[in-house]
This record gives sequence, structure tokens and C-alpha cells, in this order.
Amino acid sequence: MTLRLYQRPELQNPLMFVGWPGIGNIGIIAVNTLKEILRAKAFGEIESLHFFYPKRVVIEEGLLVDLEFPSSKFFYRRVGEKDVLFFIGEEQPSEGGRMYARGEKAYQMANLVLDVASEFGCRRIYTSGACVSPIHHQMKPRVCAVATSEKVLQEVKQYSNTIVMSELGERREGEGIITGLNGLLLGIAKSRGMEGACLMGEIPDWLSGATFPYPKASRSVLEVFAQILGIEIDLRILDESERQVEEIVESFYVKFPKEMKEEYDQRKTIFQARPGTITIQAQIYIDEQYKKGSEEGGETPS
Amino acid sequence: MLDFLIETFEAQEVAEIEPLRFFSFGGVRFKEDLVQFQESKFWALKRHNLLIFKSDEPEFEYYSFLNILLEVAQHHFQIQELYTLSGTISLMAHTTPRRILTVYNQKEFKERLEGYGLEPMTWKGPPAISSYLLWVARKRGIPGVSLWPEIPFYLASRGDPEAIKVVLSFFNRRFQLGIDLDWLDRERKAQAEEILGLRRENQEVDDYICRLEKGLPLDEEEQVKLVKEVDEYLREKK
Repeated sequence: MTLRLYQRPELQNPLMFVGWPGIGNIGIIAVNTLKEILRAKAFGEIESLHFFYPKRVVIEEGLLVDLEFPSSKFFYRRVGEKDVLFFIGEEQPSEGGRMYARGEKAYQMANLVLDVASEFGCRRIYTSGACVSPIHHQMKPRVCAVATSEKVLQEVKQYSNTIVMSELGERREGEGIITGLNGLLLGIAKSRGMEGACLMGEIPDWLSGATFPYPKASRSVLEVFAQILGIEIDLRILDESERQVEEIVESFYVKFPKEMKEEYDQRKTIFQARPGTITIQAQIYIDEQYKKGSEEGGETPS
Repeated sequence: MLDFLIETFEAQEVAEIEPLRFFSFGGVRFKEDLVQFQESKFWALKRHNLLIFKSDEPEFEYYSFLNILLEVAQHHFQIQELYTLSGTISLMAHTTPRRILTVYNQKEFKERLEGYGLEPMTWKGPPAISSYLLWVARKRGIPGVSLWPEIPFYLASRGDPEAIKVVLSFFNRRFQLGIDLDWLDRERKAQAEEILGLRRENQEVDDYICRLEKGLPLDEEEQVKLVKEVDEYLREKK
């Protein structure tokens, strides 16, 4: 397992934002967008060979030109008085075609990320992901937080539009699982004496299986990131993708049968503690419209 | 095809990669009522100085698996060239000559194989494991090529003697194997006769194949129907 650092920037107690793909790609879009807006600079990467199957081959006129692997890269940037680290993993190292990492590889990957964080004096890690929730798609997604300590939890509760998991409907006890590396990283960080939080943007439950992203929730997460850093950020960069996804979601919504729509619309005013049948029907509907393609690749000649 | 070579030349099993680490062992597959178990074995054709590797595709640790394969092949058996065998399902008629599409990992090797009538492939997208193997082989300095004979889509489940024949013909020329391919000609003719019988009985099937012969496409529904009709007919005749 190789870690390659092309540069050793001098950083003062940096914060770290980490993103991997997950439901609606909410977390990775948020972290990547922040990295882009701040024009963070790449300074290292985790070599992909032992973690991933290649994602793309380029064959031209019979010659194998290139084989591309999912990247796992580190970036840094000074923002005012704060140094910021980023880690963006294009894929979670999974085994047997699963979307989420688990097992030995997940543990190794998480520790490599934290090794770099530690080396540069980082003590605070933020991951991000999706919070599947019975909300209406026309409502602004909230950001649901889980932290490694009471101290961090109290801090994140101060941010606007942010709630802790125990305040979220059916998860009254604040219990649950954050699947994959966006969760595991925090667990390992805690065991290594580091602190952090996972900030999860709400996604309507019936959209959680969709193959398209959900940038509306990424926007909410980015607004919290901006509060953490104490900066203003221009999120117009998300406008177009958000509009496109809204269009798709609305196209499903307008076709909901009348009763289903009425029941669903109650979500705008009444908090629905449990997803209920409306979700199941809507999920079936979207599954039929947007069947997930196989993740297995195969070459077909052009 | 590899089974045929192993049997014909009475190849000797010379090494294997232990499956642990590379397969899930979540159960066991069976095919035609027979239990199958993951195998990754090397066979030697001493007379022709050829090494065959036949394996199930690993589920985990691809990079390690491919490196072990090449480590054994390169350092224990001193292979000089690498050939991988695949097949590409093609929207073509069975009466059209098959091409072998190819992917090389070195320009020099591509030049060396000019004159064999191989057709270079162009593709950007998800890689097959054979491309991954070629890439690892290139890192180790082993010249390699993937051979992708075209197979008419409606013969994919029944077998295509013509596709096997074009590849074995290539091996005959390249390695002077002297394999008698008459039996494949007989199989191909018998299969073509059977399909001709179906075409005479079934106007729709004939129409689909005629269109393919003219290079015209079939829509998805027509393709499915053609596959079903041919598959059922050939199974009955078997």
C-alpha cells in the first residue's frame, strides 16, 4: 500500500474534509466543490493498484494506450488563518462489487488517510454523506450530524440548518449506522485520539436508490462547511446540476397518482415519523424508471 | 478452446494459484448438474513450447492475482509473449466471415504480428480483465495481445465453431501447431445447415438474418427474438 506525497506543505493545525461516493454522492460533491472553489492544490495520493479495479481502458487502433484507476488524492489550501486539507476518493475500495468499502481494505484506506492527516498536524476531520429522510424534495435539506465527542457535537449544533441525529424523527435515540468509509474513518479517527464529525445532507427516502446525484443536499452541507471555515462561498457553481436533477425529480413527482401525491405533500407541513407506504410506492416507481446499470464492465469494440 | 488444446496436445498440469484470497467461497456453482470449483492452473505443451493458463476470473485482489500469474509465467517458465483469449458478441450474421479484434500492449509487438490478418480494436470504457493483464504485463516488459474473435450474438449461447476456427488457424500459423481443423469445418457446416433449415421454416428468422447479412441493424426486440428462435431450434436438433 503506497502513499505518495509530491510535496510537504507547512501547515498549522489544519482541518481536514474528506469525501467518498455514497448515496446521491452528496458528500463527495460537497467536499469536491469546496476544494474547487478554494482552488486547493494536490500534494499527494494513495496508490490505487492494491485497492481498485481499473475504471477505464483506452485502446486506440489496437494499442492499449492507458488504464485509468480511481484516484484517492490529498489537497491543501490556506483559507484566511486556517489551513485546510482535503482528501477525495473517487471510489470506496470494495470487494465483490459492493459500493461501500468494508473489511481489511477499508481499514487500510482509512488509516492511510489518517496517517497523512496526523503527519501534517491535523486533529479535526469532517466527513460527509447522505441522511436518508422522509422529507419532501421541494424542502431545503437539513444537515444531520454525528460527532466523535460531545464537544464537537455541541459545536456543530451551533451551525444553521444543522441538527443532530437524535433530533431527526424516527432516529430519536440518535442511533444508526453510517455505512462505508465516510463513517468508518470517523470511528478509526476516534480510536486514534482525533476528533471529527460526519455532516449528512438530507435526501428524500424515495430518491435514495436513484442513480443520479442530489446536489441540493450537497449545497446544504457546503453551507455548513462555510460556517466551519468562517467564510462566504459562492455556490452558483451548483445551480445548473441542481436544476437538472430537480427537473428529473419533478417529472416523477407530477406523475404520482393523486392519493400518493396528497399523502406525500403532507411532508411539507407535517413531519412524517416513518416512511410508510408512500415511500415504497415512489421507490418502486423510480426503480422502474431508472434501473441501475450493472457496475461490471466489459469491452465492446467500436 | 483451451480445453481443446490441453486435450489435443496432452498438456501437463504444471502449477496452480491457490484460490484463497482471490475468491469469495460463498458457496459452490454447478453447471450441467456438475459442481464447479474455482481453478487457476498452468498447463505445459512441451512439444510446442507453450504455456497455457486457464482460470476463473478472481473476485478480489486482482492486481496481486495478475502479478502472481505473470511472476510464475515470466520467472519460472520464461514466457516471451502473452496471448489472451476472449470473444466479442457482435451484431453480425453467422454467414459473415469472422474477424479477430486485437489489443496489444506494445507497438513493436503489434508490428511483429502484422500479416496475420488481425483487426486492431478501438475502445474507451470499462476494461476487461484481459486488458488489465496486458497492462501489468507491459509493466513487466512482457509483450502481449488480446484476441477477441467476433461471435454472432445469436450463437453466443450455443457456441460458434467458425470463431474457434479463426483463432486456432491463427495459432496454427503463429506456432506451427499443425492442428487439423477439418472437424471445425464439419461442425460449422452442420450448424449452418441447421440454421438454414430454421430459415426455411421461419420467415421472420430468415428476414432478420437477411437484414444482418446486408449490414442492417435489428432493434432490441428483434434481437431477443432471433436469439430465442435459434437457441431453441439448435437445442432441439442437438
